Formats: sequence, structure tokens, C-alpha cells
Amino acid sequence: MQSLFAELRKTAEHERAELVSCGAPNQTQRERLCKALRDRWLARKGGFLSQADENWLKSAGRELKPAVGRQFNELRRFTTSLEFDSLVEAVPLQQESVKQMELPLASVAGRPVPGDLTLPGFHRPLGSIHPVTRMQREIEDIFLRLGFRIESGPEIESTYYNFDALNIPESHPSRDDWDTLYIDPKTVLRTHTSPVQIRAMEKYGAPLYIIIPGKCYRHDNPDSTHSPMFHQIEGLAVDKDITFADLKGTLDFFAKMLFGEKVRTRFQPSFFPFTEPSGEVAVSCFVCDGQGCRVCKQSGWIELMGCGMVHPQVLRNAGIDPDKNSGWAFGLGVDRFAMVKYDVNDIQLFFQGDVRFLEQF
Amino acid sequence: MKVSFNWLKEFVEIPTEPRQLKADLTMVGLNVESFVAAGDDWVLEVEITTNRLDCLSHYGVAREVATLYRRPLKRLEIFAKEFGARSSEEVSIQIADPDLCARYCGRVIQNVQVKPSPGWLVKRLEAVGQRPINNVADITNYVLMELGHPLHAFDLARIRERKIIVRRALPGELLRTLEGTDRILTSENLVIADAQRPVALAGVMGGEDSQIFSTTHSVLLEGAWFDPVSIRRTAKAHGMHTEASHRFERGADIEMAPPAVDRAAGLVAELAGGEILRGLVDVYPRLRLREDFVLRRSEIQRILGAEILWEDVERTLRSLGFITERRGTEGWRVTPPSFRLDVTREVDLIEEVARHFGYDRLPARLRPAPPRVERDATREKELAVSNLLCSLGYFETIQSSMVDPEENSRFTDQPPVILANPLSQDASALRSSAGPSMVHALRWNLDRDQNDVRLFELGKAYTMSGDGKPEERRVLTLGLTGRRRPASVHDSERALDLFDLKGDLEALLGLFEIAGIGFGTAAGGHYEVSQSGRFTSQGATLIVLGRLSREIEHDYKLRQPAWLAEVDFERLLAFPLRSRAFRPFSKFPAVERDFSLVVPEVVTFARLEAALQRLTLEEIQSLRPVDLFRGGSIPAGYYSLLLRVTFQSQAHTMTSEEISAASQRVMAALEPLGVFLRG
Repeated sequence: MQSLFAELRKTAEHERAELVSCGAPNQTQRERLCKALRDRWLARKGGFLSQADENWLKSAGRELKPAVGRQFNELRRFTTSLEFDSLVEAVPLQQESVKQMELPLASVAGRPVPGDLTLPGFHRPLGSIHPVTRMQREIEDIFLRLGFRIESGPEIESTYYNFDALNIPESHPSRDDWDTLYIDPKTVLRTHTSPVQIRAMEKYGAPLYIIIPGKCYRHDNPDSTHSPMFHQIEGLAVDKDITFADLKGTLDFFAKMLFGEKVRTRFQPSFFPFTEPSGEVAVSCFVCDGQGCRVCKQSGWIELMGCGMVHPQVLRNAGIDPDKNSGWAFGLGVDRFAMVKYDVNDIQLFFQGDVRFLEQF
Repeated sequence: MKVSFNWLKEFVEIPTEPRQLKADLTMVGLNVESFVAAGDDWVLEVEITTNRLDCLSHYGVAREVATLYRRPLKRLEIFAKEFGARSSEEVSIQIADPDLCARYCGRVIQNVQVKPSPGWLVKRLEAVGQRPINNVADITNYVLMELGHPLHAFDLARIRERKIIVRRALPGELLRTLEGTDRILTSENLVIADAQRPVALAGVMGGEDSQIFSTTHSVLLEGAWFDPVSIRRTAKAHGMHTEASHRFERGADIEMAPPAVDRAAGLVAELAGGEILRGLVDVYPRLRLREDFVLRRSEIQRILGAEILWEDVERTLRSLGFITERRGTEGWRVTPPSFRLDVTREVDLIEEVARHFGYDRLPARLRPAPPRVERDATREKELAVSNLLCSLGYFETIQSSMVDPEENSRFTDQPPVILANPLSQDASALRSSAGPSMVHALRWNLDRDQNDVRLFELGKAYTMSGDGKPEERRVLTLGLTGRRRPASVHDSERALDLFDLKGDLEALLGLFEIAGIGFGTAAGGHYEVSQSGRFTSQGATLIVLGRLSREIEHDYKLRQPAWLAEVDFERLLAFPLRSRAFRPFSKFPAVERDFSLVVPEVVTFARLEAALQRLTLEEIQSLRPVDLFRGGSIPAGYYSLLLRVTFQSQAHTMTSEEISAASQRVMAALEPLGVFLRG
């Protein structure tokens, strides 16, 4: 606080000194320049003084008020020297012969080069890619290597694509497994990237090898592990002779590429309405090598994603003959992957834009 | 669901410890989250997926255990010792709507003494998370946990004329359910009614009036089967979710109704001293049999990529309650049991086989996709843009798409997309501008004393189109505040200004091959009018940029000036990335000439530049404004501009005559604008 007022005071001094030392070319210019400087500081609306009043003095807590008030009054006393009359008096008219043009340049050039080479180097600011994007690209790259294509689809989705076409009819309790944000009874914010499976199969037919990254939404109250907006990546392969073995082999390759050659994958049965058989994939903990640690919650395994063989009815819904083609699919949470990989303990950190967080990536 | 280890052992021999059972059950798809000791028992917390209604009971879980360890599942031995009159003489049961109620079984037990349950029963119920009430109610809960079939007990004395009619409710009929809520019914709701009025909301909850009281003497036990969709609709419409509705909406076991009623009746007789009247009243208008279908060995191979032995397939399916019948070399005809309504197709059987064969034992194969000749053009552009912005010092951020619609309207005229069931007012619409999200991010940092901030976000904006259809488009947003560089021994500090942002955007546009980029001032709206502008290409706006208006600064309590740029990313993506092609540079020396110009205030740099471009003087390699100054000896209404022009010829070394001729042409082009050289 103290330094803020000191800073303001220094700036005011500086601006006044600059004007006084430069002078003005003629009477009219002098009045114009003096008025401008006065308004900048003293204007009732938007002047720095009234801003300081508004933002600091008025909003100061009871115990801070006297201290802030003192600072503020000191600043105000100084700024009386920025009143129009006192400025006009101080600012001289320039002599014709003075070449003012060189002045601004000289002050920039005048810095001596320090001789102490142990001083830190000059750092240009560098930005960074968001950890979720970084994670997403890393995953995309693995599948691009395998010849997959990146597909995308709308975040505002019909209930048909988000649910019905995926074998999740309104009349079935499995619909309740997704807490959904609605726009109207027929339109939702997609709860997963799976609707793009249907859209892509309709558009391209088989064979099809795609991954689908994107934002998804659920009616979840935000906490350290939940966010109403999150990111998923969906994978889909549909072809003539795709089997469960391809699913296992591909996801095992994926896990090794992402977490290191040494990890093992574990597949266990699960249920999703749009795959049959369905599974969950876990990877042996890449931190403790399966021994049990904080990251894997002592289990030795980290849950990665849901997956399965595309349900024949889903293929049929998308216009693909399930007797001629088969497919596998998976869906994973990118934010959760990023949390595990970068040891982030609160998903909210991803969506605050805090530079103290972002600069670490 | 909570599962008692000891209770399971009543139905199957378990050759292992709870820890191993946890691991093994998980590998067949019953995910055991934990197991804890409860006295001499263990309680396993099992996650049952939506499709596996049959496993919401100990007997069902025991069946999985039996299949897992290749042990026999004990047959249910249910015996109800009957006395006196027939149940059917004491109560009449009629199903008026057989589409919604396919079966209704009832039994009457007389001379019942309602009292607290014995210790062992209370212990069991508490172990699996049920609260004991009285012996009759506890017995129905016990049987629910054991066999999975929801039962209901009525006080028969309170059933008018001892008539049970299963019918749709009359519109406006009232029922006070057990927990004391008055419910107004519609004809969508199936009810259990007596001669006069509803006594239970079928498959969801009983009525308060007809429940078991401490004075109850005669009990009517109900075991029924209701249409899943109807139960789901009714429970949803009344905002209810009960153990019963949870099961009925998943499709209960129609064949379990009679044994469950008998099991409960037997327990009532044993624990409440009642006498079971003779005969079960079983109204089952149309026998529901499961249809068989074919399981082909070739299909198992096609889906799993593995050959599984005939014996393995048969053992698994039979142990799980399926009837299998071999069909030559092709495969089997399989009839699923009544408790597996989730199994309706060949592929469902394949999952059953795979589950118990073990996913981990199935083979794995890595095969890449067929090669494709195709570039990911959009992705290449995104990468180019985000890499550039990072190297210019911007951090990528991801902000929530959901905003307060009122706030959103300060940044755009386009309507946002309103959510029907938002989590909160400040997240009740999908933003039609990414502006507010970015301003929030800047403020977040300023409020935490992070005063030098440069952010960019590649996201979407959403709006309702004229015909009421939601639309989404990609947008790129930049936000910055603070210093261009902090003070150090190397350099003094320097605040950001509009030209920092403008320069970064010029670099961004430079990534692309864009025809006719123009710049216009004054964006207005949420921008400071004199500090804002827009980049255009052939008249269409690509980027709007500027300093945030004083009002926004004030209302968001931004302590220092902040700048925002909104890029129409969709439009930017339509341009190709700048092609990289080498243009030979001149072998001859370049000469710099400084023009110390005095320029009328009304003449902008853009106009000077345009005038010189019209010259088409190819020796001009570049022109740079090097210094700008007002006041001093410069007359009012003018400013001084030092313009540095580089001349160079591709063909030869320029002579001083050529240079002064070119210089004269430069001045000749500028003079019509009122520009003159400083004396």
C-alpha cells in the first residue's frame, strides 16, 4: 500500500518535472499540455487521485483507514502542484534555437553495460502451453503415429447423438449415469465426446480410425476433483476384422508410450451402454512401479479409461453393418491424465488462469 | 452395494480370503471398492453397474462367485409351512393393467406379532447398511438383500374389502406415501389400490395408511413384477428413488416373485409367530418366457480375436444360469435366465464368456490404421499460433465456457445460449463472447498481486442464431496487463501499451497468407474508444483490440490498464499458413536515408505508407518510423516524424544520384499530403 502511494507520487513528480524541463513551444500549446496533465491527475471522474480515493481509500478496512488516509492526503498535498495555474507558471516557453528532438533518445542510450558477468542474463518473457492442451497433444501424437485422424464435433449436442444413438434411451436408468446440463429437452451440453463417434461413422463409414478431443460438461458442482467443464479424448476404430485383441494391443501401446515402456496394463470388465463387451483399463503405477504410493493411492494401479467393442446397435444406428464390420472405442479424461502426470492436486487450478500455475508448464 | 462375506457363504463355498475375493470379483466386472471387518464378518463394498440388476443381492453375487471359483451355487430351499384357510379366500387380487404389471403374487399371514427383530437379523441388516424398523418390515428388507426382489407388506385389515386391484391411478387421485408426503397421481402412475383408493405407488413406495403398525395382525405380502419404463417414469415424476424403484426400473426377475414371497412368509412365521395361510395367490396372466438365440463360435472369434474351448463357454454360461444346447459345429442355442434381462443378443453372451475367461488372458495385437495421405491442416495452424504466442510471452489459459449472461452482454450484442438447469447464476449461459472470461482471468491475477500478465485462450463462443439454433465458433482471445519488461540491471522497466498488443497481433497475422490486411481505429463498446481498433481483411473484421474501457476497469476493479484482443479464429483458419519460399536477397549494398518530416496531425502513418507504396519504387526495401515528436519547434497542428528508408537495388550498387533521385520521389509523393522536411 505504502509503495503504491509512493509510486503514484513518484510518477506525478516525474510527469511534472518532464513537462517543466521540456517546456512548451507557445502559449496555446502550454495551456493545452498543462490542462492535459492536470486532468490526468485531478479530474473528478477518472483522474488518478479520484481513482486512488475510489479503489483504496474508500475500500480500506476500518483498521487500515487512518494509514491509507495519511498516505492519500500526502499525495493530495503534492498534487496541488498539478493545478493549472501553478503548472502554467512553472512551464517555460521554449527558445526557438533549442533542438528538443534529441532528448528522448539520449535517455534510452545512456545505460552503462555492467561489468559483472555473474549478474543474471536478460530474460525475455516466455509463455507456455496449458497443461491440459499439452497432455491432449501428447495423446494425439501417439495416435497420429498409428495413422488415426483427429475429428471434432459440436459441444452443444442433440439428445439423439448424446444418448439415443449411443444406446442410452430416455427410458433406461443408464441415462442417469450422466448428470446432464440441458438447453432444452432435446438439446444438451455433450456429456462425453462419444456423440462424435456417431457423427463420424455417419459421415465417413468404415474403415474409420479416429480420435476425438474436446470439451464436455456435466452437472457437477466444482470441487478439487470435479469440474462442470472438462476435457475428454475418444478413440474409435471400425474396420472389417477389428477384435478385442486390437483394443488391448492398441491401449497397451498407448499406455507405454505415455507412461514409459515398463508399465503394464490391466483390463477388467465394466459396463457402458454403447460398448459390448465393455472394460476399464488401468496402468501399473509409473511412479512406484506398482509397489503402492501416494499417486496410485497404495493400489499399485491407476485407472485410465473406459473402453470396449462398439455395440452392434450403435454401429447400426450410424449406418454401419455390424455383421461386416466391428470396432473398438475408448474414452478418457484429459484433465485427470494431466493431474496424474503433472501431480496437480486440484482440477480447479486448470481453469483459473493463474500465472503462478501456468508458468510452471 | 454392501455385501456380507458370511451371507455369501450361505450360498457358495468361497475357497479364499476377502482380500483375494475383492481382487477376483473386480476382474469379472464386480468392482469391489473396499472391504472392512464387521465383527466376525467382512463387508465388501461392491460397485454394481447399471446393467447387472441380478447382482444387487447376495444370491446374485454368490452366483458370480460360484462361476468364478467353479463351485456349485446352493439351490434355494424355501419352505413355507401352511395352515388353515387359503390365502385366496382372505384376499382377492386383480391386475387391471397387465401391460404394466405382468405378475402379482400375494400371501396372507395371520396372528402376526409385530415387534423388534432378533439380534442376528438386526446385525445382518446393519452390516449391509439397512436400518431396522420392525420384524415384518425388516424381513422384507432382508429378503430384498438376499434374493434381490422388492417385496411389500400391507396391513390386511386396512385393505378395504380385502381387494387388491393393480391399476392406473385416476387423474387427481391422492396417496400419502410412507414417508408422509401427499402425492397427486396421474393416469401415468400405476398403483396398488383396494376397493376404494390407492394403497401403494406400485414398485416405488407403499402408502402410509396400509403400512405395518405395531397392532397389525394380518399381513399381506406382495411380490410383483412391474414394467421398468413405467416405474422409471413414475419415480422420476414424483422425484423419488427407492430400493424398489431402483430394481424394478432395471427389470426385476419375474420368476423370483413367488420364492421371495415364500421366503419372507417363512421368516415371518418364524420370527413374528404368524400362521401362513395355504396357497400362494399368483396372478400371472401371460407367461413370460425368455427367447433363445444362437451363439456362434465364429462370432466369439470375430469379436474377441481368440478361440475359446467349447467346454469353457458351456461351463461359464451354465453356471451363470443360461441354458445351452449345442448346434453341430456352429455353436449353441442359448436361453438366458429370467434374471438376466440385460442379455438379449449374441454379443452379450460373448461378454459373459469373456468376463469369466478373463480379459487379461485374452490376446493383444497392435495394428496401426491403414496409412492415409492427408495433412492435419487445422492442427498445424493451431500449433503455429500457440507456439508463436508462447514465444511472445503469453500463457495459454482455459476458461469456463459458462458465464453470467448479464455480464456476457456487456461484451457482445450476440445472445448467449441459456442453460435450462444451470449450476449457478454465474454459470447459467454459454458465453457468446470470450471477453468476460479473459477479464476474469486478468482480475484473478491482479487480485493476487500478479501484475504482469499475458494470456491467450483458444476456445469457443456460442450463440443462438436467428432461427433459434445454437451455434458455436472458434475464437482466440488475448489479454494483457502490466509491464512490457520488469526493471533489471540491464534495462529500466517499461509499461505495456497498445502497440505491444498490436505488434503481437501483426506477428500473428504474419503467420498466414492474408490478402489486403487493413487497420481501422475505434472499436468502442467495452473498449476505450481512442485506444482501440480492428484488423480487417477485405472488409471483414479479423481482430478487435484495445484497452478495456474505464467502466469495465472500474467495475471489475482492475487496478491498472488492461488490453484485450478478440480474434475471429474461424475466419483466420480459412487462410493458409504463409508459404515458406526463398526470395534471393540483393548482392548490392543497402543505403539508409533518414527523412526528418513535419507531418500535419490529420495525416496518419498509414496514409504516408500508402502514398509511398503507390510509388511502386522497387528500390525501397523498407520504411520504418524511427522517432515521433510533438511540440518543441514543431508548429501546432503538426508532428515531427523521423522516417528511415532503406534503398537497395537487385541489379547494381545504387549511385548517390540514384539515391537522391529516389529520395526526391519519396518527398514528391508525400508533399501532396502537406508533409515537408524539417529545416
